[in-house]
Amino acid sequence: MTQSIDIIVPDLGEFENVEVIEILVSAGDMVEREAGLITLETDKAAMDVPSPENGVIEAISVAVGDSVSTGDVIGKMSLEVSDTVVIAPALLHEPSGDTTVLATPAKPAGESQKTGGVQTLVVPDLGDFDDVEVIEVHISNGDEVDVEDSLVTLETDKAAMDVPAIVGGRIESVLVRVGDKVSEGSSLAIIAARVEATQTIAVAVEKKAEPAPAAAPAVVAAKAQAPPTGAGLPPINEAGFASAHASPSVRKLARELGVDLSQVKGSGAKKRILHNDVKAFVKAILTGKAGAPAGAALPKTPSIDFAKFGDIEIQPLTRIQKISGPRLQASWINLPHVTQHDLADTTELEAKRQELKGPARERGISLTPLAFILKACVAALQEFPKVNSSLSDDGKNLVFKKYIHLGFAADTEQGLMVPVIRNADQKSVYELAQELGELSLAAREGKLKADQLQGASFTISSLGGIGGTAFTPIINAPEVAILGVSRSSMQLVWNGSEFEPRLMLPLSLSYDHRVIDGAAAVRFTTFLGQVLGNVDGLLEGSDA
Amino acid sequence: MTHEAQLVVIGSGPGGYTAAFRAADLGLDVILVERYEVIGGVCLNVGCIPSKALLHAAKVIDDAEAMADHGVTFGKPKIDAPKLRDWKNEVVGKLTGGLKLLAKQRKVRVVHGVAKFESDNTLILDNGETIRFEKCIIAAGSQAMMLPNLPDDPRIIDSTGALELDPLPRRLLVVGGGIIGLEMACIYSALGVEVSVVELTDSLMPGTDKDLLRPFLKVVKPRYESIMTGTKVTGMRATVPGIEVSFEGKDAPKIGVYDRVLVAVGRRANGDQLDAEKAGVDVGERGVISVDKQMRTNVPHIFAIGDLVPGPMLAHKASHEAKVAAEVAAGEKSAFDARTIPSVAYTDPEIAWVGVTETEAKAQGIEYDKTQIPWAASGRAVSLGRSEGFTKLLWDKQTERVIGGAIVGPNAGDLIAEIGLAIEMGADAADIGMTIHSHPTLSETVAFAAEAYDGTLTDLYMPKKR
Repeated sequence: MTQSIDIIVPDLGEFENVEVIEILVSAGDMVEREAGLITLETDKAAMDVPSPENGVIEAISVAVGDSVSTGDVIGKMSLEVSDTVVIAPALLHEPSGDTTVLATPAKPAGESQKTGGVQTLVVPDLGDFDDVEVIEVHISNGDEVDVEDSLVTLETDKAAMDVPAIVGGRIESVLVRVGDKVSEGSSLAIIAARVEATQTIAVAVEKKAEPAPAAAPAVVAAKAQAPPTGAGLPPINEAGFASAHASPSVRKLARELGVDLSQVKGSGAKKRILHNDVKAFVKAILTGKAGAPAGAALPKTPSIDFAKFGDIEIQPLTRIQKISGPRLQASWINLPHVTQHDLADTTELEAKRQELKGPARERGISLTPLAFILKACVAALQEFPKVNSSLSDDGKNLVFKKYIHLGFAADTEQGLMVPVIRNADQKSVYELAQELGELSLAAREGKLKADQLQGASFTISSLGGIGGTAFTPIINAPEVAILGVSRSSMQLVWNGSEFEPRLMLPLSLSYDHRVIDGAAAVRFTTFLGQVLGNVDGLLEGSDA
Repeated sequence: MTHEAQLVVIGSGPGGYTAAFRAADLGLDVILVERYEVIGGVCLNVGCIPSKALLHAAKVIDDAEAMADHGVTFGKPKIDAPKLRDWKNEVVGKLTGGLKLLAKQRKVRVVHGVAKFESDNTLILDNGETIRFEKCIIAAGSQAMMLPNLPDDPRIIDSTGALELDPLPRRLLVVGGGIIGLEMACIYSALGVEVSVVELTDSLMPGTDKDLLRPFLKVVKPRYESIMTGTKVTGMRATVPGIEVSFEGKDAPKIGVYDRVLVAVGRRANGDQLDAEKAGVDVGERGVISVDKQMRTNVPHIFAIGDLVPGPMLAHKASHEAKVAAEVAAGEKSAFDARTIPSVAYTDPEIAWVGVTETEAKAQGIEYDKTQIPWAASGRAVSLGRSEGFTKLLWDKQTERVIGGAIVGPNAGDLIAEIGLAIEMGADAADIGMTIHSHPTLSETVAFAAEAYDGTLTDLYMPKKR
């Protein structure tokens, strides 16, 4: 006898409204189970919708160019059902429930008590991970497993984790092997589940059609007409949901929107999750800003058609500008910047530098003022290690670095670059000056290697060679401070009894106020000024 | 005759009628199937409601008697059992009549008959009629369990028979010390019947915290002929003077003769009475049907709610599940999300609890704190002459939110609602304590228990803990 069933689109994962690009069969065609019926194309790949059963195509109800989603009916097929031969059980996906398939026969006696239907065990939500490797398979065909028994072990780059069985029963077929890559929703095994009184059956699990002996065709036909059974719920962290601090009405809203309350931060009293928190969570996901801070939706600057006001020329940003721009903006938005200005007396330092400059040049070293400033910063950072620290990602800890790697802003034709002098605390002024020269040259020639641009714990931006009296540099986050240096100038300084001409160097320290408070910042610049005033100290350990 | 409906609901108890009405309100065309002539199910007809009418009568009798010690003496009450029964039936009639009207107003068609599945979209009734449906909610409830091998004798009754009071016996044995048995014991005792209770396990109301039973036992022990826990009924024999019951247990006599035996040993789900397998619905052991959070069975367009799905067999659980099932059937994304289902024994004193019990907390290793207010500290309880009770609250040590509560005393069943709300809202001690409770009421004891945790209680002296 013959039975007709709907052919439905299987789980397409994240895709919806996928275009039909080819129809592979037509009415009357005999098809085997798993044979391709139509081809769909997503923006990632083309895929065939396989035949759920052996049978004859009655009709294909979609055309090339149509869009389909998981669960859509794409046609009908008839199955040959014999009274004596039992069709091999097929896996039919059943997302909306009632569109499927064969009438259910009376089960063999005794079995109805034991089996809760055949289900596919899938990989649960893995958080951020995709394509995780299976490193161990703990089950094989025919094994009896209980709820919570481990099926496989997966290994991400952070941790290994076991995937437990969500139902107990007998493993019909293991679908993965060691070395396979799986993601959330990947099938692991097919299980003949035991029914337990307290067990709830997961919504929209893949479900096997019962092997169907003689069954009334009328029933099947009527079934196909039944309307969809309402939307199922997306799988969520039920334990987390159950302990979320949210009232029943908020929980109802969350269920409707499919929001996992365990991931929502409450803004109400005592961190209670409010209606608006659920809505904001959804909005953040929809706009792709999930996890972004509340200030992410910044007002935009006006866009103006400059050509209205005169001739213009468009020039693309350089590669380095494109990289540094967002970083500078992120730092400016995320870090509460304060800039402390100060003046350091470098009269003696400059005199000494002039004296040492010539002999140094003979050794191929350009003894610039910046080399001395770097050396002085080492001393100041050793005195104030907080300025050499960073805030941890979660904002709860300070990370103190036991090394001092100094970045310095280098102006190049390509844009702003920050080469890094590693272990500056282990280097003399001459060594610093030499490395400064080498790195500056490499920067200008575009020959810096990646590791010469990484790892800075504090940065100096010296514009003194050009001019200026003060500026507010942007911190090279996640560092917590940056020293800006402007042009030194002769100023009359009151020494207690008279005005004296002194060579004063303007220092501008921008700092992250979450880590460094104002008093600490000014102590740092004051200390730095004292160090710069003691040139002999700076030259200690130098072999010149 | 063939009926057709978008949704058919099998059973018209608090689960079934709620589901039918909610679905109708959401625009579905609904048929409600009921096997008996009157809708309302066990709850309205032979359960919650009639028992409460009789319990009220019992309370009036007991309260009147209790006032004798305090200077108000009434004569011995004259019990007109038929009249009392008529009044009880009148109460039931009023409510079931109201229910019929509610069904009519919503255009829910009520069809009478015993329904069984023929397929997953057809039901057949015992009168030959069929109902074709698109979706179905199974709400066919449960039935009282009987002990095996009992003699066939009208003097052995279940809870339905007990509500008939026909006639009032002299000596009653209640087999089963659960809530139903103890409520009946309470009614019969007040009506002047000598009551004995026998319970197989070591404690009455198995599963409840033991401390809740102490005030209850203090009241009922002197009134009942005997309470035999840890005792097995090994046999019953119908004899002319009465039912001869043999016991096996430490404090029990070998044999007792009673002129009425109420068997209240629990209820059994009716999930296996419907040929549900013909619709492809898996029915588990003891007639229980498993469902997901949306009350769907393994067949997605067939739902199940109430006594025949896992969980406590309580009307208020069924009606909440009913709304979820109806809403999902109508295409809404509802789910059964209640964190707690309150339980009440309408005995005298009443015993009510909600959320985590101490027994559960200990078994599950939940770290909790407890505050308990004896009703002797409540002006209202003392002036009612009922200071034996107490109110206790359990707190999560980490979040300091209330996670459970229990009350023993008159009106505990009403008082427990506030604690249920507090749990669902995630309230902590200050939330409850700083909500002004009227004085003098029994509800103040809930606030006191919260204040005790918050360290702000003045109505009792509690040595500082926190």
